Amino acid sequence: MWAPKFPRRTFLKATAVTAAAVGAGDILSFGDWLRKADAAPVTKIPSLCETCSAACGMWVHVKNGRIWKVTGQKDHSQSRGQLCARGHAGIAMAYHKDRITHPMKRIGDNDFVPISWDQAYSEIAAKLQTVLKEHGPEKVFFSHNPRPTNSFYWPRLMAAVGSATIQSHHSICSTARDVAYKWTTGGMATADLGKTKYIVFLGRNYVEGLSPSSAAGMAAAYAKGTTIIVVDPRHSNACLFASEWVPIRPGTDLALLLAVANILITENLYDKEFVAEWCVGFDEFKKGMAAYTPEWASAVTDIPADTIRAIARGLGNNRPASCIEQGYKAPNGCNYANGTQMFRMVACVNALLGNYGQDGGMKFGNAPRLGSLDAKQYPAPPKPKAARCDGVGIKGEYPLCQASQGIVHMMPQRALEGKAKAGFLYRINVARNAPDPALLVKGYKALDLFVVCDVKWSESAMCAHYILPECSPAEREDLPAVVGAAVTMRTAAIDIVHSETKPLPEIVAGLAAHLGLEKYFAFSREDVAAAMVKPLGVTLDDLRAKGTVKVKAPAAKPLSFATQSKKIELYCQAFADNGFPPVPVWEPPYSAAAGKDSFVLIHGKQGFLSHTTSISDPYLCAIAKRYGLERLWINAAKAKKLGIRDGDLVEVASPQAKRRVRVKVTERIHPDAAYIPAGYGRFAPFLKTGVGYGISANDFVPARVEPISGHAMMMEVVVTVRKAGE
Amino acid sequence: MPRYAMIIDAKKCVGCYACQVACQMQNELGPDNVLIRFEDRETGQYPKVGYVIAPLQCQHCQEAPCVPVCPTTASHKDVNGLTMIDKERCMGCRRCVAACPYNARTYLADEGVVQACNLCLSLVGAGEEPACVATCLTKARYFGDLDDPKGEFAKQLAKAKPLRPDFGTKPTLLYII
Repeated sequence: MWAPKFPRRTFLKATAVTAAAVGAGDILSFGDWLRKADAAPVTKIPSLCETCSAACGMWVHVKNGRIWKVTGQKDHSQSRGQLCARGHAGIAMAYHKDRITHPMKRIGDNDFVPISWDQAYSEIAAKLQTVLKEHGPEKVFFSHNPRPTNSFYWPRLMAAVGSATIQSHHSICSTARDVAYKWTTGGMATADLGKTKYIVFLGRNYVEGLSPSSAAGMAAAYAKGTTIIVVDPRHSNACLFASEWVPIRPGTDLALLLAVANILITENLYDKEFVAEWCVGFDEFKKGMAAYTPEWASAVTDIPADTIRAIARGLGNNRPASCIEQGYKAPNGCNYANGTQMFRMVACVNALLGNYGQDGGMKFGNAPRLGSLDAKQYPAPPKPKAARCDGVGIKGEYPLCQASQGIVHMMPQRALEGKAKAGFLYRINVARNAPDPALLVKGYKALDLFVVCDVKWSESAMCAHYILPECSPAEREDLPAVVGAAVTMRTAAIDIVHSETKPLPEIVAGLAAHLGLEKYFAFSREDVAAAMVKPLGVTLDDLRAKGTVKVKAPAAKPLSFATQSKKIELYCQAFADNGFPPVPVWEPPYSAAAGKDSFVLIHGKQGFLSHTTSISDPYLCAIAKRYGLERLWINAAKAKKLGIRDGDLVEVASPQAKRRVRVKVTERIHPDAAYIPAGYGRFAPFLKTGVGYGISANDFVPARVEPISGHAMMMEVVVTVRKAGE
Repeated sequence: MPRYAMIIDAKKCVGCYACQVACQMQNELGPDNVLIRFEDRETGQYPKVGYVIAPLQCQHCQEAPCVPVCPTTASHKDVNGLTMIDKERCMGCRRCVAACPYNARTYLADEGVVQACNLCLSLVGAGEEPACVATCLTKARYFGDLDDPKGEFAKQLAKAKPLRPDFGTKPTLLYII
C-alpha cells in the first residue's frame, strides 16, 4: 500500500544501513535487499470491505507489518473471489492522512483541539444529561449507516437514554422503495436474474452502482441471451449488457409502469389466477389503470408508444420468468416526488406477472438467523416510550415511514425549529450527501450537542461539538453478519495505527459508563459475537480462520406476504387511511418543468466511487482526474444549441446555487437530463484529497421531505447550463 | 517454456478500474503510476448509441519496440517470451516509454526506473492468476499458455486478435472486440 510510508527505495536504503550496523555478515547489495523485502513472509487475514454496503469478504495480505494488498474471499457471495477498485484501494484507509487521530472538541468554525477520551466522555455526558432534563429524550436522535457492530451498540445506548429516534441513511437512498414494498408486498423481493428470460432495469445500474456479484450476474445473464431492457435517461455502462437502451425523461418511470399495467390488463397478458389468489383490490386497480394508455405514457416519458407496448408484451409473454428489477436509489428511491407510488407500481406490475416466488421472477430471501445475547443474563434497556423527533410513525406526520429507517436528512431543519436538541452521528456524512449543505451545516451547528463518531474527517464532522475517532476497518474485529447462506466477520488485520483511536464497542461502553448506564454494557464484544453465531454452529475461531463460513440454508418457506391483508395490496388500505392515493395515480415530478434550455439534474454512481468517502482516496481520486470523470454530461444536440463544446467549463445554476464544472458532450443522454456523477464536491477543509474537485448535485437541490415515505427528492431540480468564462 | 498470454474481452469490460487498482497494489505503485490504462469510444447518435471501454497494458509484443531502444538492456524479452524490465539495469532514460505505441509504461519518479506489466509472474509462479485477471468482476480477462491452451482461455483464443495489428509489433496480449 502506497499511503504515507517512505518511497520504497528510500525505505530500503535506510533499512540496509541499519542492518549493516548489526553485523558485517548482513551487508547485502541493494538488489538482494529488494528481493529480501519482496520475499518477506505474507500473512492473510480475513476482513470485510467497508467502502460500500455490499461489505465484500476479503483477505488482507500483510507484509512487514503493513497492509500490502487485498484479494476477494471466494466463499463470500458478494465478492466471490473478486474485489472492485474501491475494495482494493479502500483498505488503506488505515494509513490515510484524513484520519481523525484523537478525540476532538470544536472551539470555533473549522477549529478543533484534541482532548482526552475522559474529557470527551464527561463533557458529552454532562451536556446530554442537560438536554434530557430540559427537553426530554424525544429531542435526541441518532443517525448511522447500519452495519453489524454499530447496529447493536448505538441503538442500545440510545434506548438506555430513552430516545426512539434511530435513523439510517435510507431517506437519502431507498426509502421510497422500502416503504412502497412494505405496504404492497410486505417486504422486498429481488429479481432472479440468473433464471429470468426478460427483465427491465429502471435506472438501476448493476455495473456502476455495483458489487462484484451484481456486475458478474448481469454479465452472465447477458451472455446467455436474457433479454435485458435498461430504462434510464442516461446510457450508463450497464447498457453494455442491455439488449436495448430505452431513454426516458427523468422522473417519469411511474408513467411507464402505469401504461405497462394498462397493457397487461387490456391485452389479457396478466396472470389471472395469481391475481385472484394473492392480490387485493384488482377491480379498483384495473379501473385506475384504464386512463394510462401507451400513447398517454409516450407523451409523458418520451418513449415511443410501440416501445412501451413491446416492453409490456415482452414481460407478459415471458411470465412468470419475467420481471421489473426491484430498484434501489435508482430510479426513484429518494429522487422524485412520485417515488413511493412508482415503487408501488413496480410491485403491482410484478404481481400482474404472477412472478413472486417463481424462477426468473421475484424471490424473497430466506437468510439463516443469527442468535442474540441472553436477555436474562444481560437485560436490555426498555423500549423507549418517547415520541420520535422526525415524525415517523406519527399520524399526520410520516405515519407510513419505517421506524428502522427514519428521516435522516430532516434533522438539521428540525434543529433549527427547536424540535431536536442533541444528535449523534456514526459514519454517515449527511452534511455532504443530502440536499442543501448550507442548511445542513447551519442546522447541525444549532444543536445543543452534536457528536460525530467516525474514522476520517467529513463535512458532518466539521459541524460537531465533539468527534470520537474510531479505528479503521483493517484494525478491528467486528460483530458477525449473515451473507447468503454463510456467516462472515471482519477480523483485525493490523495493529491500531493511531493509539488514541478505539473500536466502537469501547467507545459506546465508555460513553455509557459516564452516563451511569454501564449496566446495559456488562459484556464484551466477543460475548455478543459468540451469542450471534452459536445457533448456526459456527465459532469465532472458525470465522477468524476462514472469514466466511457456509451454513445450512433454511428450508424454503411457502409464499406469503407480510402486509396488513396478507396479500399483495394493489389497493392499499393503509394509504387510503392516511389520505394517500390507495391505487397509484400519475403525479408529475416537480422537475417536469425542464424545457428547451434547461435540464433535470440527475446523478448516479461510477463503479470506482461510493459516495463522497471514495473521492478522498488518493488512488480513486487519481482515476477520476486522469480521465476527467467529474464532468457534467449533457446531450450533444442540446449542447450545440447552447453553444457548448466538449470539455468547456460551464456554469450550472439552480435558484439555490451556481457551480462551475467541465462538461462532457455526449450522445448517451436524454436531452432533458444533465448527469453529474455522485460523490464529488467535497468541502471539509481538513481533508487532504478530493476537496473542491467536481461538484455535487446536492448543492442545487432544496431540502425537502416527500410526504408518504419521507425521502429527500434528490433529483427534483431544474438547472440551466451555460458556457462560463475561463 | 510456457508462452504466457492474456486475452481481454472488451465487450465484457465495464470500465470499473478494479484491475488497474489491483495491479497498483500488487506492484506497490503510487496513485499516479498505472500499468493498466483505459481507452473508450462512443459511437452512433442519440438514441441509437454504442459504447466500448477497454483496458490497455503492456502487450508483451514479440517484436517489442521498447527492447532495441534500451541502452542498458534493462528492457528485454525473457525466456517465456514476455517483455520485462530489469529494474537494476534501468537508468530511467524513458526511451522505452516513448517507443511503446500502446503507451503502456510508467516512470516511477521515486525509484528512477520504468515499470510495465510483468503478467504478475510471481503470482503465476505460485499457481495463481495475475492480479487483474483474478479480480475482474465480469471475467473479461483470460490468462493462459499459448503452447498449452486450456479451459476458457482455449475457447476464447480462436476469437482473439491483436488490438492494433497495424503497429506490426505482434502482441501476445489479444483482444476480443
